[in-house]
Amino acid sequence: MDPFLLVIWIIRLLFLALLYLFLARVVGSLLRDLRAAAREPGASPGRLVVVESPAGEPEAGRSFDLDAITTLGRDVNNAIVIDDPFASTEHAVLTFRGRSWYVEDLESTNGTFVNGRAVAGVSPLGFGDEVSIGQVRLRLERARST
Amino acid sequence: MTAASRRAPANALPRILGPIRPRPRWTEARLLALAAIALVVGSVSLRLGLEGEFGLANAAGLGIYLGALGLAHLAQVLAGRRTDQVLLPVVGLLGGISLLLMQRLPQGLVTLGEGEAALGLGDVQLVWLVLGIAVTTTIAIVVRSDAWLRRYKYTWAAVGIALLLLTFIFGADVAGQRLTLRLGPIGGQPSELLKVILVVFLAGYLSENRPLLIEQDTRLGPLRLPPLPYLAPMVAMWAIALGIVVIQRDLGAALLFFAVFLALTYAATGRLSLVVIGLVLFLAGSALMANLFEHVRDRIDIWLDPFADPLGAGYQIVQSLHAFARGGLLGTGLGNGLPMVGGRLPIPEIHTDFPLAALGEELGLVGVIAILGLYFVVIQRGLRIGASAADDFRAILATGLALIVGVQAFIIAAGNLKVLPLTGVTLPFVSYGGSSLLANAVVVGLLLALSDRGVEPPPPPSSATGWRRRIQRGSA
Repeated sequence: MDPFLLVIWIIRLLFLALLYLFLARVVGSLLRDLRAAAREPGASPGRLVVVESPAGEPEAGRSFDLDAITTLGRDVNNAIVIDDPFASTEHAVLTFRGRSWYVEDLESTNGTFVNGRAVAGVSPLGFGDEVSIGQVRLRLERARST
Repeated sequence: MTAASRRAPANALPRILGPIRPRPRWTEARLLALAAIALVVGSVSLRLGLEGEFGLANAAGLGIYLGALGLAHLAQVLAGRRTDQVLLPVVGLLGGISLLLMQRLPQGLVTLGEGEAALGLGDVQLVWLVLGIAVTTTIAIVVRSDAWLRRYKYTWAAVGIALLLLTFIFGADVAGQRLTLRLGPIGGQPSELLKVILVVFLAGYLSENRPLLIEQDTRLGPLRLPPLPYLAPMVAMWAIALGIVVIQRDLGAALLFFAVFLALTYAATGRLSLVVIGLVLFLAGSALMANLFEHVRDRIDIWLDPFADPLGAGYQIVQSLHAFARGGLLGTGLGNGLPMVGGRLPIPEIHTDFPLAALGEELGLVGVIAILGLYFVVIQRGLRIGASAADDFRAILATGLALIVGVQAFIIAAGNLKVLPLTGVTLPFVSYGGSSLLANAVVVGLLLALSDRGVEPPPPPSSATGWRRRIQRGSA
């Protein structure tokens, strides 16, 4: 076989091989990324970030990992204690059912608000929505996976 | 006069750009180097195939392209954001393959300018690719907040519909399709930009109304539906897609918009009933269109049996299938395929609609699978960025941007292979065309910006709380 043709043929195959080498490297890096994400603890279905809190308890900027049922209010027995003069002792409860979050107002004096609208009974809550309890504003976010 | 004096403006800037601290991106650097080696080997192979001698085919063009990729990498290192490191090399490799292909096709397919300074197909594509890299890098570095996207979603929708209407009214008919809009010397295909705007609007709409869409209080036989008013956008989307088919005769864009719309609705709500309704609407609309409009029926007839008229209506598809067949498993090698037939190309519009057929002939099944693999990586990155996003808007936006690229690649690849009726959408990052490359550059730039895992939390949702509170405070 003509050596020149052989060289052409090898370079052709080398180009294809390099495409696959690139793909293999990329897939390797994707797998590392996925494994790192899987190793992370925290199967928490979401977290609540304090956006604004004039009374300072909880602090603004703090974030809480949520359980499937999380109670909020002024009483110390709540999962998230909101020490605000306008919050009731048992103010609201967040529940994770199926694939989404719901917020329920526990007949508080000043009410619970989602994006500025008052909650009547149980109301669905999306990631990125803001819940207001008294003067405290909290935002629901997906738990950080990476 | 170096470090100390340069730090001062950097410290003055943070209000706009955030603290700037360079951060190495080794994964990206390694992958880019590998992509560059592959492209150089490809260029040598191309020269051997075309002219039978060693050397690079159009060394200057390849050099400029690789240089632009390197600069994009450096700029991102200097900006120091923690953005995705896989997307740029993958898209860069696809763009490089596009450059090799366009340098290889007859340069007279597209010319810009006159006489000696005229730019051929490869050079024009190079200009668009470099502009695309610049757009991607700029968006990836500068966009730090998505408030301008989420807050003005109805404005974006209005801009999109205005673009569509302008094309309906003032668009120029090219090859039976009214896609091109010319404003003075600048011409472009608004439907390419429209797809990005559509995803932004849908992300805003779906993330805001997700809780209501999940509720099911309307029953229609065995189907349980969300409250009826919230189905209005779905019907509106359907009407717009049909309008695009009727007036613009652009089946591909209509298919793309509707498929991405359905996929996003499902991703946001997890309700199969909405997808079922969408599919029923789609089938009804398709049947209606096929009965009413000749151009739709022609496309379907060609798809079912291109060999009925192999030299006329079915010519493109038949030639494309032959090209794939000639390529076989390993291909004929870059530069060896596509002999000119009687002084013209065997496949008309090969540089925009059939790049995959050209690559299938010269790189074979093995090469085509590698290229499809690259698209899968882009989709995976987008979905991953969406899955790790902090809130619904960013999650749906990233998912939608990835699907736009993936679904479009699927529609045209399937069209070239006679799996779906052929529609005139471009192969993202590979087809010749400024509008397509720039719109996809915007998509990649936004994905990179969204992937930032920096410290800044996403801004609060666009709700009444913000301004109502401000007003209350102002009056109190």
